[in-house]
Amino acid sequence: MTDDGAVDSVAHGEILMNLVAVVHGGNLGEMASARRAVRENMGDAAFVDACATIASFSAVVKIADGAGIPLEDFKEEATRDLRAELSINDFQS
Amino acid sequence: MTEIEISGVMLPMRESLAREVEVAWNRLASPGTWWTGAERLAIVAEARAIGAGDCGLCQQRKAALSPYTVAGVHDSTSDLPPAAVEAIHRIVTDAGRITERWILSLIEGGEMPALEETKYVEIIGVIAVLTGLDKLHQGLGLPPRALPAPIPGEPSRQRPAGAKRNLAYVSTLAPEDVGPEDPNPYPLHGDKNIHRGVSLVPQEVFNFFDLDVELYLKDHEIRDFEHDFRAISHAQIELIAGRTSALNGCYY
Repeated sequence: MTDDGAVDSVAHGEILMNLVAVVHGGNLGEMASARRAVRENMGDAAFVDACATIASFSAVVKIADGAGIPLEDFKEEATRDLRAELSINDFQS
Repeated sequence: MTEIEISGVMLPMRESLAREVEVAWNRLASPGTWWTGAERLAIVAEARAIGAGDCGLCQQRKAALSPYTVAGVHDSTSDLPPAAVEAIHRIVTDAGRITERWILSLIEGGEMPALEETKYVEIIGVIAVLTGLDKLHQGLGLPPRALPAPIPGEPSRQRPAGAKRNLAYVSTLAPEDVGPEDPNPYPLHGDKNIHRGVSLVPQEVFNFFDLDVELYLKDHEIRDFEHDFRAISHAQIELIAGRTSALNGCYY
């Protein structure tokens, strides 16, 4: 998810990625401006749903990692080439 | 839509999300399957203290290339058993490097008294729910919610008879092995591996995914690209999901 093209191809991708980064990093000084950018460009309801999505994917990793679940076969097959290219199977979950 | 107040500004929130946030907090304070309400809140308090960077051992392990070679004692705020404290600290601070060997060492005992596998799995569920609730507040700009009072009562202590260790590092309950006495979360939430992760304690599947489907999407909504279910598009949701997962080192 570091491809700028992928970010640019989604409407407001850059300001959403900035919100994700500052919420993950916990930098209080940057949070206010990141929140304001989402609210001003996308609206308050979109801001709330963006925060909810960040919360979901910050949480679900605890189940994946804590329980050590494997990838499903259909996902493994669909992503085999990409995972090999990125050497992502070297990671645990 | 309902509204939440943030720094004097009222923001819209889906009523279903606001409702499940309240349900989740109530469940954190209630007796679980293996821990009492007071113990579940002690797990929450311990997890929050670590999240604030209050444990020196966790900081050393996080910085180490081989975290399992760093011994020591956790800075703990609770009276929970040592193995439970160890589990909470690892899941909160370094979940991506959890190994099956470490989990087995916890539930079989050795350096410290054993932690029942069911109790370990319930800890995962509690921390996952707490992480969702606290991260939502953090994103919105709200302070962490004060812990509620524990709700008295005894854990139900019902282990699914059909649970087996054949999928993950922990025992799980396959859909075909759900017994008539087991809570069955699969018809409602789906039965992919992520739903089975904490299924040794089936109520924890409900506890997490009842909240998560409102934070993210219901299972059948995820690939329904004909409709948008949120105030952001599918593409925007998945962009956020992918980046958040990458930052958390989650490659599931």
